[in-house]
Amino acid sequence: MNSDVVHLFTETFGIAPDRLVPGATLESLGLDSLAVIEFLFQIEDRFGIQIPDQANPPRTLEEMALMIEPLMPQPATGSPAA
Amino acid sequence: MADLRRVAITGLGVVSAVGTACGPFYASLLASQSGIRALDMSFPLGTESVLAGSIDFDPNVYFSKAKLLTLDRVSQLALVAAREAMAQAGLASDVQSYWGGLKRERFGVAIGTGSGGSGSTDAAYSALLEQKVARLRPLTVVLSMNNATAAHLSMEFRLMGPSSTISNACASSANAIGDACRQIRHGYADAMLVGGSEALLNRGTFKAWQAMQTLAKPHADGPHASCRPFSKDRTGLVLSEGSAMLVLEDWDTAMRRGANILAELAGYASTTDAHHLTQPEATRQADAMRLSLLDAGLNTSDIGYLNAHGTATDMGDVVETQAIKFAFGTAANLLPVSSTKALHGHAMGAAGALEFVTSVLALRSGQLPPTAFLEITDPRCDLDYLPREARDVKPLRAVMSNSFAFGGSNSVLIAKAV
Repeated sequence: MNSDVVHLFTETFGIAPDRLVPGATLESLGLDSLAVIEFLFQIEDRFGIQIPDQANPPRTLEEMALMIEPLMPQPATGSPAA
Repeated sequence: MADLRRVAITGLGVVSAVGTACGPFYASLLASQSGIRALDMSFPLGTESVLAGSIDFDPNVYFSKAKLLTLDRVSQLALVAAREAMAQAGLASDVQSYWGGLKRERFGVAIGTGSGGSGSTDAAYSALLEQKVARLRPLTVVLSMNNATAAHLSMEFRLMGPSSTISNACASSANAIGDACRQIRHGYADAMLVGGSEALLNRGTFKAWQAMQTLAKPHADGPHASCRPFSKDRTGLVLSEGSAMLVLEDWDTAMRRGANILAELAGYASTTDAHHLTQPEATRQADAMRLSLLDAGLNTSDIGYLNAHGTATDMGDVVETQAIKFAFGTAANLLPVSSTKALHGHAMGAAGALEFVTSVLALRSGQLPPTAFLEITDPRCDLDYLPREARDVKPLRAVMSNSFAFGGSNSVLIAKAV
């Protein structure tokens, strides 16, 4: 998962980074569906992205990462034009 | 009423401006240690110093960060008080634990709160109108709704019986306790986690109360001495936050599981003034006291201590004094009465529970908390208000707690010694 998202996650929920393994369920980390929605709002606000409404909210960190990462701002690539 | 079930009190818990947990709380009351202080509160037009009974409460001690996202302060305070009460009742918080035959499906919750999650409401309006955000936190509704506290209590202990939240201003939690008592008496539940919580020390609530012109002015002796019930120099009430919780059980159920019964919740009555939004009415207050005695099967002479509503407003203290005289007759002159709001402030929806717990602690200890800062006698308030000094008395048979609210709700609770 994007390191900025990991940082926001640990900051928001107070969960040690070493517990954030891809297969971990959000429930096992003590997060219910309301807490997940709260976090998704925070991501949108922090990174200026819009996450589409989900018919099935993510259940694991991996699912959350797959949902978020394509939407995250991409670092600039290539050389500036001379 | 012989066929009604008796109601045992088996657990008490408190979070207040004068202490968290019953021991420190009651020691502060007996020693006249005030929890009232001056707070700097930031308003859009500048910072103001306000008087408040605020609690030094670090929620991170009690809850994970993830959990705190879902908890307004009003629920945080209630959960901490409830943990103490449930532990005292011998009811472990582990949801799998066996409670000596006490079924969770027969165990309910009843809460009183005046303002619910008003801190979350205040924060939401601030975000919307001052910070001009486009949207609010997704949990805004469930943080601020008045029944959130009852929901959190039910989930923490997995209590699946009846659940209710009463909002009768200053009488809220007294009503909640009394109505819960009836749930047990009539067999709708075998146990109830009951009480009140209030966390209203936020800007919108303060400004609304300032406009009511009932708040105390700072006293020359210091902010701590600004709430002065029944004293001629009283200037009004002091808003405070806090929670008090009790475990009520059907008497026989409590006996069967070997619970330590602290007292009997023997009497409850509720009346309404039907008179004025804010002006109290002595006859209906007196009726509530009389009816609670009738409900308990007790006489006026059985009551050894009365915890008054005693908000320290000019009219409120005079009217309550008259009401006590109406209800107790000549026995009023011998009745020790005190208002502990001088110390913990007026916890509004939590006040009834906080003061009923105080009354039960008085019943059990035989030590009556004083009316602190009662320094100048008001000829219109001429009862024995236990001025400034706690008093040791002979074992008490029963105690009474008054709660009277804006809106005209009058609620009286009586606890009887075991």
